[in-house]
Amino acid sequence: MTENIQSVQKNIYKPAVMKIVGRHDEAPGVKTMRLEFQNPADHEEFRQKYRTGMFGLYGVYGEGESTFCVASPETRTDYIECTFRQSGRVTSALANADIGDLITFRGPYGNRFPIETFHGKNLLFISGGIALPPTRSVIWSCLDQREKFGKVTIIYGARTVADLVYKHELDEWQERADVDLVLTVDPGGESPDWKNKVGFVPTVLEEAAPSPENCIAVICGPPIMIKFTLISLKKLGFDETNVYTTLENRMKCGVGKCGRCNVGSIYVCKEGPVFTAAEVSRMPAADL
Amino acid sequence: MTRCLFSNKLENCVTLWRSAGYSVIGPVRKDATSSYAAVEHAADFDLGMVLPDRSIKELFFPQTEPMLHYTIKQQAINTEEFTPPAGKRIIFGVRPCDASGLSIDDPLFGWDYKDEYWFQRRNESVIVTIACTKADDFCLCTSLKLAPDSTNGSDILLRPLENNNGWQVEELTERGREAFSAIAELLQEASEPTAPLAVVPEMFNLDTCVAWLQNPENFESKFWKDISMRCIGCGSCTYLCPTCHCFDIQDEGDTYSGIRRKNWDSCSFALFTMHTSGHNPRSTQSARWRQRIMHKFNYFPGKFSVNSCSGCGRCTRQCPVDMGITETLQKISTLHP
Repeated sequence: MTENIQSVQKNIYKPAVMKIVGRHDEAPGVKTMRLEFQNPADHEEFRQKYRTGMFGLYGVYGEGESTFCVASPETRTDYIECTFRQSGRVTSALANADIGDLITFRGPYGNRFPIETFHGKNLLFISGGIALPPTRSVIWSCLDQREKFGKVTIIYGARTVADLVYKHELDEWQERADVDLVLTVDPGGESPDWKNKVGFVPTVLEEAAPSPENCIAVICGPPIMIKFTLISLKKLGFDETNVYTTLENRMKCGVGKCGRCNVGSIYVCKEGPVFTAAEVSRMPAADL
Repeated sequence: MTRCLFSNKLENCVTLWRSAGYSVIGPVRKDATSSYAAVEHAADFDLGMVLPDRSIKELFFPQTEPMLHYTIKQQAINTEEFTPPAGKRIIFGVRPCDASGLSIDDPLFGWDYKDEYWFQRRNESVIVTIACTKADDFCLCTSLKLAPDSTNGSDILLRPLENNNGWQVEELTERGREAFSAIAELLQEASEPTAPLAVVPEMFNLDTCVAWLQNPENFESKFWKDISMRCIGCGSCTYLCPTCHCFDIQDEGDTYSGIRRKNWDSCSFALFTMHTSGHNPRSTQSARWRQRIMHKFNYFPGKFSVNSCSGCGRCTRQCPVDMGITETLQKISTLHP
């Protein structure tokens, strides 16, 4: 009834202004930007709210807004990092922006990876191609409090060596004694000096055969990789409730009103983007 | 004896309301179409129609609406926010289905994040609903468990008198009482009987339909392809619907200045869900029609405990290929759950 109408608050569609303070080419067409809040109040709100797994709408006025994850961890909130592939109107405008330029950010929105429930457990991260950024946010959120977790294994694959993102961080993880990193590229994607694996992620996963005992898996990748990786994890004995993934869909509002990001009855923007494999398997596959 | 407003006082009402600072809006026929629009005189109202072609939605959630004006100069972004034009308004002669539509969308625009474009207008509008004494073949409020005299979303309910010379006044909310206190001198105590309500036959059993929709096995039923075969994806049903709330956000302008707008969008459109990669979760018209029906009768009630349909029938009444919610639910109600 009309008497319960909520009172008006701030404009939820107004984004925060961000300055680009860092810019890095990751792979052909893929860039990482480091962004700083221009308004301290916006920054404080972000610090309070942001947890790994949440996403934002990154925008350029005149072009629009685009949804992708916050690639930086919850343990580092002086800035936001985002990694994106230049493919549409907004991402092209973002890719053309330079250090010092101003862009916009709305968020953080959505749910999160409940990493405090991962304490004391082994962690298995599996990622493919441009899907490393959301995984990387979780990885650093855990590595920045390394003592709270057991064994950390990262399996990451891309089509070619050039397509691997965060190459500098892959080197860092490879050198760390407390991280097992398995890198792979699709057959034919290897370079002459490639010393790591050649093969698809699910195959490499089955070879590595991590134990499901006391282990949480976080997987993120293209739908086809997810599909076969889930099958492999099942073979290895992982329970669906211990496997987390993050979904993405086209979004405009990010706050559950514009009506397009739902998979079945589930709004990815509000109830997601982080789901367990058990939750995903209950969604209507034809709507994914 | 009940308080009545007689039709011959309506012009005085409009004058008093306007002088009390309300803008007055009501059903108006203009050219080939009808809608709820601002009036200066009671004679501008067309209170005889079953319901206006266009729903009341556009008064709260316009087809296109500027949100921000941006200017970018010398590495600085300046934004100026547009807020909805302020001011109290009385919307007179609203149909119960349109008023219900507003209360259906309130929780959607208010969950966690509140959409001020919607709520500012809601807070400033008085909904004066007139119960229906006539219906057409497309009306289906009773199938949605609503009625020609439902009070959902209304601040005042007027019941037409038998002689068609006025209405009994039921004050439902504080906002309604306030608006009617401005015209208290024009109301009269009378004992005239009210006209019989419109008879709207029930066209399907909603519970049967909902049970079918909730069964996951039916998500990929061949039924969806058959029923949506002739849908041309024009989006008319969603635009005319008082509860369809999907929107797009688009920038109009260039790198230096422009306007960010919120525009109606439609789940009927292929681009609605298309990813940049080309992948489209709802790539066929049947998947999109399924989404519309599922959303209204399964997903939305699952979240907000109310169907996202108030039974106005506009989707069927004005569909260019004669489809609509009624036909779909009628057929579903005959299927085995």
